[in-house]
Amino acid sequence: MIEVKGLSHQFKIGKKGKETIIPVLEGINLKVDYGEIVTVVGRSGSGKSTLLNLISGYIQPTEGEIFIDDHNVTSFNESKWADFRLHNLGFIFQSFQLILSMTAFENVELALTLKGVHEKERKTQTEKLFKKVGLEKFMDHYPSELSGGQQQRVSIARALILNPPIILADEPTGSLDSDTEDELLDFIKQLNHEMGITFLIITHDEKVAKIGDRIIEIVDGALVEEEYAS
Amino acid sequence: MRFKDQFKFVRQNMKKNKTRIFMTVLATAMGCAFLIVLASVGFGLQKSIVEEITQDRLMTEIQVHGKENEENAGITMDDITYFEGLDHVKAVTRRQMVDQQGEFRVGEFRAEGNAVVVDFPSETKAGFELSEGRLPEADNEVVIGHDFAESLAKWNGKETAPLNEDGTVKEEFKYKGKLIGETLNLGVKQYEGEEEKSKTFDVKIVGIGKKPTKDWEWDPNIYISEKVLSEIEAFTGTPNGTVITPNLPAEERDLMEQRKDRFYSQVSIYADDVENVKTISETIKDKKYFAYSVVDEMEQINTVFLIVKSGLIFIGTIAIIIASIGIYNTMTMAVTERAPDIGIMKAIGANPSTIKRIFLIESSYIGLLGAIFGTIVAYLITLGVNWLLPIILSNAFGEPIPGDFKFSHIPLSLPLICIGICLVVTILSGLRPARRATKVDVLKAMRREV
Repeated sequence: MIEVKGLSHQFKIGKKGKETIIPVLEGINLKVDYGEIVTVVGRSGSGKSTLLNLISGYIQPTEGEIFIDDHNVTSFNESKWADFRLHNLGFIFQSFQLILSMTAFENVELALTLKGVHEKERKTQTEKLFKKVGLEKFMDHYPSELSGGQQQRVSIARALILNPPIILADEPTGSLDSDTEDELLDFIKQLNHEMGITFLIITHDEKVAKIGDRIIEIVDGALVEEEYAS
Repeated sequence: MRFKDQFKFVRQNMKKNKTRIFMTVLATAMGCAFLIVLASVGFGLQKSIVEEITQDRLMTEIQVHGKENEENAGITMDDITYFEGLDHVKAVTRRQMVDQQGEFRVGEFRAEGNAVVVDFPSETKAGFELSEGRLPEADNEVVIGHDFAESLAKWNGKETAPLNEDGTVKEEFKYKGKLIGETLNLGVKQYEGEEEKSKTFDVKIVGIGKKPTKDWEWDPNIYISEKVLSEIEAFTGTPNGTVITPNLPAEERDLMEQRKDRFYSQVSIYADDVENVKTISETIKDKKYFAYSVVDEMEQINTVFLIVKSGLIFIGTIAIIIASIGIYNTMTMAVTERAPDIGIMKAIGANPSTIKRIFLIESSYIGLLGAIFGTIVAYLITLGVNWLLPIILSNAFGEPIPGDFKFSHIPLSLPLICIGICLVVTILSGLRPARRATKVDVLKAMRREV
């Protein structure tokens, strides 16, 4: 499903012509199978978020290739990446990344709107999903009127609305308290079991890491350990 | 993303900054109103001048005044036959005056005036109109001018003058009855040596001509057929019934007596369509005829006004370009403010072309709103100017401005040109911000670093 081959990435910082090159990832090889939950752990600055951003297509690798569903996504241009993301990937972010001027309903509906789905169909699907995440009473609330846990559920609903086979999550519990974190992790496991969604989760939290079928650790830009959950 | 949803999205975004959008639309509306009002002065003056020229004249008419380099410069029947044979000629009217002051009598009323000889069949084809009665069918039937009755005055043979100082007939001498069906006595004279002879021709009035379109025009003539003219000529012995007075120099007298051909003084060719006027006019000018048509004059006037209007539209366009700077600024601000939203949209799969289109729709929408409001304001200004300016000018200069004179006129094409210019300018001004929106870095935008 997701296959990363010899992936390297460097950041260039400083003024043009006087840039300093900082290597972040070096020769990463990784494979994530259908229906797996894979968690990637590592210390701050280890390169785990960069790995997720590369797989999401937000940045381009310096070297190496990424295959998702047998598509070599490293050859995609921006437009093709946009279509591919819309139809194949769901995203959950640490800081939820909801559009603040839109209601919870409009935030979730947005992906359907971008896909060109008719208004009536959008309404039916979005309402159904709000019931699934238990937020049907909060559809017309703005993000600022929701708690952190509720915002993350809205974010998950947005990720699920187009039934993507893969969800990429970057520190999904980073902004949540302990109880809400447990609820969210249970929900992720439920989605994985019931719908067979593949999860690639970046975290520095041990509790989150443990929900993975496999835990991968990145140290200083290199994949050093792969541990199978018991 | 469907267009309807893009438009909805744009409207939602615009509602977030109502004041800024209002000010931008206002600036665009002012630019548009300025363009339309400025150009409308050109259109208004052109319309008024053209109407003044074409009033009472047919656009399809070509007047022929004579011939060049000919021994005989007058228009004869041969020339008329040539004109009638040309392509796209609907009718050729020819008028000539009886060459002496006629005395017209209806019962005990009399008037002096001109007898105009017309060819009624060609006049009918050219659109000669009556206010009453019908056109002559018999040779002794005539049509009188619209104001003929006004010129008739009761004559009792006494010295009492029947006219007012301004030349109008005094009320008590005016003819009050109907004229259609009445017999008109047309008196002509000629000299035989020193002796003056006169003869009266009895004709029947069957129609009254249409009122001239201009208020100051006065038509007291009578319109007779060529047959009546022939009878007059038989009496006078000269073409057109010219009077040879005893004191006329011998040379001139000989010339008059030798002249056999009739000359037509007012010859007009009527084309079947305005489009063909120019072709006919050029053809007869090539044959050395002196021809004039309103279309010739219109062409020159229209060329001058085309240049004037283009200049005014150009100046007006500058105002819209200045307003577009406001749109550029508004759109740039919008992109900056919405960068996080753009980042999120791109992160979940919004295509850059969709984002670009959303911003272009927004800038064109601002332009369109500005153009619509500007057009409405321009119409109001035009109404105000056309109402107020004549009052101010007539008070300032003491001369009345004609009632139908328009200082400002907005033809339908003008708002359409303005909306077109406005849309092009606003789309261009929104293009760069829209491109910038597509280049928003997803990660920086989501970290609120843009």
